[in-house]
Amino acid sequence: MAHHAHKDDGAVHAHISSAAFYLAVFLALIFLTVVTVAQSYVDLGRFNLIAVVFIATCKASLVVAFFMHLRWDNKFNVLAFLSAIFFIAVFFAYTMNDTEHRGEIDADQNVKVLPKTGEEAPGGFEPKQASGEAAH
Amino acid sequence: MSSEATAHAADHDHGHHGPKWLAHHFDTPAQQFDAAKLGMWVFLVQELLFFSGLFVAYGVYRSWYPEMFVAASHQLDKIMGGCNTVVLLFSSFTAAMAVRSSQLGNKKATGNYLLVTIACACIFLVIKYFEYTHKIHAGLLPGRYFNPHPEHLAPGAPPLPANAGTFFGIYFMMTGVHGVHVLIGIGILIWIWIRNNRGEFSKEYFTPVDIAALYWHLVDLIWIYLFPLLYLI
Repeated sequence: MAHHAHKDDGAVHAHISSAAFYLAVFLALIFLTVVTVAQSYVDLGRFNLIAVVFIATCKASLVVAFFMHLRWDNKFNVLAFLSAIFFIAVFFAYTMNDTEHRGEIDADQNVKVLPKTGEEAPGGFEPKQASGEAAH
Repeated sequence: MSSEATAHAADHDHGHHGPKWLAHHFDTPAQQFDAAKLGMWVFLVQELLFFSGLFVAYGVYRSWYPEMFVAASHQLDKIMGGCNTVVLLFSSFTAAMAVRSSQLGNKKATGNYLLVTIACACIFLVIKYFEYTHKIHAGLLPGRYFNPHPEHLAPGAPPLPANAGTFFGIYFMMTGVHGVHVLIGIGILIWIWIRNNRGEFSKEYFTPVDIAALYWHLVDLIWIYLFPLLYLI
């Protein structure tokens, strides 16, 4: 919206941030990098991945909003960016909903049943191995 | 200069109008700027979707083989990865400063910031080269080429399961495609640096610097996720 907020003389009126502001954003990014490295030495169990993605997303937001000027940019560009994030979420959700639940369908569908119980039905595909040691 | 540009543009003269950087089919500099930015954002969005395929592959395999990912990740050098993160973040900062200088019409500062950005990009690739060389010597390669030499592995790391080649397949694909983007970014930044030296940009027209910096920030953005997901498991 930056260009239309001002007098409409047809010239480009892009927002110009101060050098000190860009430096502050950079220092915040370095600080978050230190935080994420420090976090890697603390075992949070299944929250490890959540912490990593959360910190990375904070850093990415700083870059997108300020270095890439999206904070002051045309709102339509913001919409294009956010729609990409939405479709990436759909991509993850649908794919992993499949890969995480293979071999767990019921016997009526003629697939391997519940690898946790060892109960098998004919005609299915191999359930995933229990751990990383399962190589051949 | 800007009022002059506008006065000419307002004529709707379909001959030569406005400054020479204003394309014929645009009425005003603002319209041209908005069109260029939207075009770049659509391209960047495509890049994000393109990389998301690799991130989904990472997600699927990490959730199937979590212990293997932890063991294999210990073979990556956190120090080198961390240095590269700082180098890329700094280059993103200097790219943003190059755009700022260009917006202010400071040609010399723009050129200098672009050069620092290019230098950082080169440092990134040099560090990446040393990392790759070590992985290749240690036999930490994708898929069926995975053949680790115990004497080259990181000391004190957990034993590598036989299917760890999957991790290195994902590692080489993600960092490799990212590295290609760094290489292309260097080319684009050099081109912009040359154009800046020729005096093609001004307070009124800094769009190419802005657009090139957007591309460079995307390269940084991808690495922000790659570093913790690959090195810090």
